[in-house]
Amino acid sequence: MSRGSGGGYDRHITIFSPEGRLFQVEYAFKAVKAAGITSIGVRGKDSVCVVTQKKVPDKLLDESSVSHLFPVTKYLGLLATGMTADSRSLVTQARNEAAEFRFQYGYEMPADILAKWIADKSQVYTQHAYMRPLGVGKFCTHFPTYLHIYTSTFAMVLGMDEERGPLLYKCDPAGHFYGHKATSAGMKEQEAINFLEKKMKENPAFTYDETVQTAISALQSVLQEDFKATEIEVGVVRADNPIFRCLETEEIEEHLTAISERD
Amino acid sequence: MGDSQYSFSLTTFSPSGKLVQIEHALTAVGSGQTSLGIKASNGVVIATEKKLPSILVDEASVQKIQHLTPNIGVVYSGMGPDFRVLVRKSRKQAEQYNRLYKEPIPVTQLVRETATVMQEFTQSGGVRPFGVSLLVAGYDDKGPQLYQVDPSGSYFSWKASAMGKNVSNAKTFLEKRYTEDMELDDAIHTAILTLKEGFEGEISSKNIEIGKIGADKVFRVLTPAEIDDYLAEVEESAAATRRTGKIGNEEEESKMMTGGRNYTRLSIDSQKVSGSVCTPRWFFSRERGVKISPSHHLLICFHKR
Repeated sequence: MSRGSGGGYDRHITIFSPEGRLFQVEYAFKAVKAAGITSIGVRGKDSVCVVTQKKVPDKLLDESSVSHLFPVTKYLGLLATGMTADSRSLVTQARNEAAEFRFQYGYEMPADILAKWIADKSQVYTQHAYMRPLGVGKFCTHFPTYLHIYTSTFAMVLGMDEERGPLLYKCDPAGHFYGHKATSAGMKEQEAINFLEKKMKENPAFTYDETVQTAISALQSVLQEDFKATEIEVGVVRADNPIFRCLETEEIEEHLTAISERD
Repeated sequence: MGDSQYSFSLTTFSPSGKLVQIEHALTAVGSGQTSLGIKASNGVVIATEKKLPSILVDEASVQKIQHLTPNIGVVYSGMGPDFRVLVRKSRKQAEQYNRLYKEPIPVTQLVRETATVMQEFTQSGGVRPFGVSLLVAGYDDKGPQLYQVDPSGSYFSWKASAMGKNVSNAKTFLEKRYTEDMELDDAIHTAILTLKEGFEGEISSKNIEIGKIGADKVFRVLTPAEIDDYLAEVEESAAATRRTGKIGNEEEESKMMTGGRNYTRLSIDSQKVSGSVCTPRWFFSRERGVKISPSHHLLICFHKR
C-alpha cells in the first residue's frame, strides 16, 4: 500500500514534504494560473468593483454562458478565477450555504462569513487525503485516484456590509482569506498587485466611477491591451444600490471611453 | 477525524523510529511568523508578528490572536487555515464543558482537549498533522497560565516561550530577561522588545498583534492605539539607555537599570591590558571568568585617572 513518508508521495496527496511544504496545494495555485485569465478587484469608499477577462475560445460558443461572475445571493457576488468546473461546483455550494444562513439566522450572510466558509472548505481538502473507490461489480478494486485539491480557484467575494461598508475578500486554494483594499488573481496576479499597490498607497477613497475605472485600467495596463466592452466582465455593489450587479455592455463602454479620454 | 475510506495512517514510523510527518509539520511551524508568550505574576501576554502579503490587504480584517473563551486566548505560528480549524474545535469543546458542568472550562482542560485533537490527526487514517503550534494564554482559579501545544499533540506549561522563524534568538532573549516577579506591563514591554529583536523592517501597531489577560480574567486583544502607546514607551526607555550610555561616567552607569535590563559592571585596570591583542569580549571573559555569550550587550567606558 502507498505510505507517504516523503518517499515521493508528498507530491501526490496533501502530506508534508521534508521542508514543511504542501506540494499539492502549491500545484493547485499553478493550476489557477494555467487557466489564462486575470481578475482584479478594487474597493472604493462606498462601492466594490471586480473585473475579469472574458475569453470566448470558439466563435460558435454562446458567449452569455461563458462567465466567471456569479451572484450568490441578491447582495453577494463571487468572482471565481481558475478551473471553471471547480468554480461552478463551489458557487452552487456557496449559494446553498448563503440561503441556509439567511433561513437560520434571519439576516443576509455577510461577505466575510461567506469568504470564511469557502476558505474553511478549502482547508479541509488540504488536510484530508481522499481515495475514491472505482469499479463496483466485476473488478471491485479500490483504484487510488487521489482527489485533487477541491477548489483550484481563487474566489473573490464582494458585498456591502451595513456596519462596515464595502467589503472585498479573496480566498485561495490553501484556505487563506483576507479582506482587501484591492487585489488580483490569475495569470498576471503579481504584476496587477504591483500596479494596484502604487495606486492604493495613499489610501485613496475612490468614488464609484473611480473604483470601476481603476479596476479596468489596472487590467488593461497589466495585460497591455485595450479592451472592447465584450471582452471583459464587470461586477459591482454600491452603497446606493447594494444589489450585486453585472454591468451591461453599454455601461462598460462608457467607462472604457472615460478611461481613454482621461489618458 | 480521518476519512474512513483511507483506512491507514499517513503518519507512519520511519526505520529510525521517528514520525517524520510530525517533524515536517514542525518545520512548517518553524518557517511561520514569530509569536511568543510571557507569563507575568498577575497575567499573561501573547504577541505575534502580523506580516501581510501586500499593503493592499486590509489589516483590520486579519486577527491572528483569537479568543477561545472570555478568559482564554490563543496565538499560533504556522499555517493559518489549520489554526482556524483548531480554534473552531476548541471553542466548541469549551462550550460543551460549560454546558455540562455549568462553569467555565479550566485552562488545563481546554489545552488537553485541543492537544488531543492534534494528536488524533497524527494517528487517524487519511489526514495529515496540523501545521501549527499554539500558545494558549488564560487566567482561571489557578492563576495565570501559558501553554504551548505542538503538532504532535504534546503540550507544556511555560513561563515564557516563543515559536516560529526567530525562535532561538527570541528564546535566548526571553531567558535573559524573564523574572519570576515580572508584572503584566513589564511583560508586555519585554514581549515587544523580543519581537523587535528579529523583526525585519520597522515595527508598528500595524504589523504586530498583542493579546493580554490580567487578574480581571478578561482576555483582550490590544487596539492599534494601545500598541502604539506601548511602542512609544519602549522606544523612550531604549533612548534613555542610549543617552546615559554615551556619557560613560560611573554615576550614569549605575543608573542604567531601565527597561528591565540587568547590567553587570566589570572593571579592569588599564595596565593589565597592555600588550594583548584581543577583543574586549574575550578579554573580560578570560580575566573575570565571566561567561559572556554573543547575545550579551557590552558597554565599554573608559575612565581617565
